[in-house]
Amino acid sequence: MAIETIGLTKTFVVPRGIGDLVRRRPAIAGITPVDGVDLSIGKGEVFGILGPNGAGKTTLIKILCTLILPTTGAARVNGFDLEKESGRVRESIGLVTTDERSFYWRLTGRQNLEFFASLHNFYSDDAKNMVDDLLGVVDLKYAADERFLNYSAGMKQRMAIARGLLNDPAVLFMDEPTRSLDPGAAQGLRDFIKGEIVRERGKTIFISTHNLEEAEELCDRIAIFDDGRIKVIGSPADLKASLGDASKLSDVFLHYTGKKFEERGGTSASGFRLNRRGFPHRGGGLGRRRGGV
Amino acid sequence: MKVGDIFATYRKALSFVRRSYMLQMSYKFEFFLRLFFMFFNILTYYFVAKLIGTAGMKYLAPYGGDYFSFVLIGIAFSGYLMVSLRGFSESVRDEQMMGTLEAMLVTPTDASAIITLSTLWNFIFASFRVLLYLLIGVLLGVSLAGANVIGALIILGLTIACFSSIGILSASFIMIFKRGDPINMLFMSTSELFGGVFFPITVLPAWLQTVSHLLPMTYSLNGMRHALLQGYSLRELAPEVGTLVLFSAILLPASLLAFRYAVRKAKMEGTLVHY
Repeated sequence: MAIETIGLTKTFVVPRGIGDLVRRRPAIAGITPVDGVDLSIGKGEVFGILGPNGAGKTTLIKILCTLILPTTGAARVNGFDLEKESGRVRESIGLVTTDERSFYWRLTGRQNLEFFASLHNFYSDDAKNMVDDLLGVVDLKYAADERFLNYSAGMKQRMAIARGLLNDPAVLFMDEPTRSLDPGAAQGLRDFIKGEIVRERGKTIFISTHNLEEAEELCDRIAIFDDGRIKVIGSPADLKASLGDASKLSDVFLHYTGKKFEERGGTSASGFRLNRRGFPHRGGGLGRRRGGV
Repeated sequence: MKVGDIFATYRKALSFVRRSYMLQMSYKFEFFLRLFFMFFNILTYYFVAKLIGTAGMKYLAPYGGDYFSFVLIGIAFSGYLMVSLRGFSESVRDEQMMGTLEAMLVTPTDASAIITLSTLWNFIFASFRVLLYLLIGVLLGVSLAGANVIGALIILGLTIACFSSIGILSASFIMIFKRGDPINMLFMSTSELFGGVFFPITVLPAWLQTVSHLLPMTYSLNGMRHALLQGYSLRELAPEVGTLVLFSAILLPASLLAFRYAVRKAKMEGTLVHY
């Protein structure tokens, strides 16, 4: 199994001040964004977690990336225990977030990737060659020596993917990777994920999304996630079939959560010119933009 | 630690220094402005020293008798305390605010290593400033002819170990409470007054000198002045070296434990990247 969780739960308590610590005042019960999550995700699988804002998707990903400790429950990623072998877990995973602030804006794309490569214990020529390859993979070689602050939203997102692949991870976590992209760019990125990361590299992908079409297009299986709990898991086709022939994924969501799914982000890529890697051409969408952020 | 690990840490350290240097050089004007205004600082004390003349001889005799030499060493090396106290907590806070901390913490590099290596550039810059201070001091008449360089380097190493421990304790507070770090405030406010930066601690009333003796800064500056200005031998520097070793032996493990606890607590509360 690539990822396995048993009763994974996270409860955040209300942050305490120094006075409370000194007085040893007991913690106040807070919110539980991840509540008894059981998952088994196979190697090479593209697993999607679909839920509205505040459902707890990001918290779940952060727990699996060892950035947040669970309150109860256990998990193994690539066979390593999340708490006892957190270093080994981090060696075997990559994380792609939409937070463009997670790069040094005044450094170039290449300088950023070389620095993060050193955190994965790749140095000198090894790092340079690997970074060069990855810049080619995400089609950013032409802008590698420009400052990150000059990149467009799509270019920044491609940089995030390149960084996520630096250590050639067995499992790649992607937290709403198309959130800040326009419809064409989002479609280009999805094609890239399917073609390059899944087909060519055979990675296990754990992707959180807020976009029904994205979940349907990319994922082998999806989990409908709401209020910290997994409501149902299955392939998009099976989930839809379980409700009848004409059902859509939004019906599945409504059925299991009792809530209407309010989608964010567009989906259409019609009329968009794609380059050889499935990204929109440099002239638009993910393409180069000069002067300004 | 294996040789391979030491080599890997060295290369990682170089990578952090390179990153910090490139970021610093992307603000060239600020960099050169900082260097430029250093000269004014030194000149101020040079003229204050001229004004004082031999008036403070009674207190300055153990350090060679010259106020400018005394204060030059004080302001130059107290910079290390400032870097240590602020550097670690500012590294945590800067990376939190820039948004890069999380991306770094999801790599196999340990959180303690990330924070420690992030401050390396600050120490290098502080060392560069010390060298400039000393160079300008020599040009203005300070004699370092009989300096015990080995002794000074030992004192410097222990000073950095000691002050860094306090800085890591300070970073631990920032990791949990985000602001309002008492360690930083306590040492920043007391060290300049009681640590003998601007005047010998013998000027203070006896009961206040007790406070001075509790601060590593006092021993660090005493040792540094004796080594650089009077060329004390290692045997003569033993009291300062011994006290700094003691401070380091207590503070370094305590600070690393505190930082590990702080990271775990922040991970538990999910506030690792909050500021």
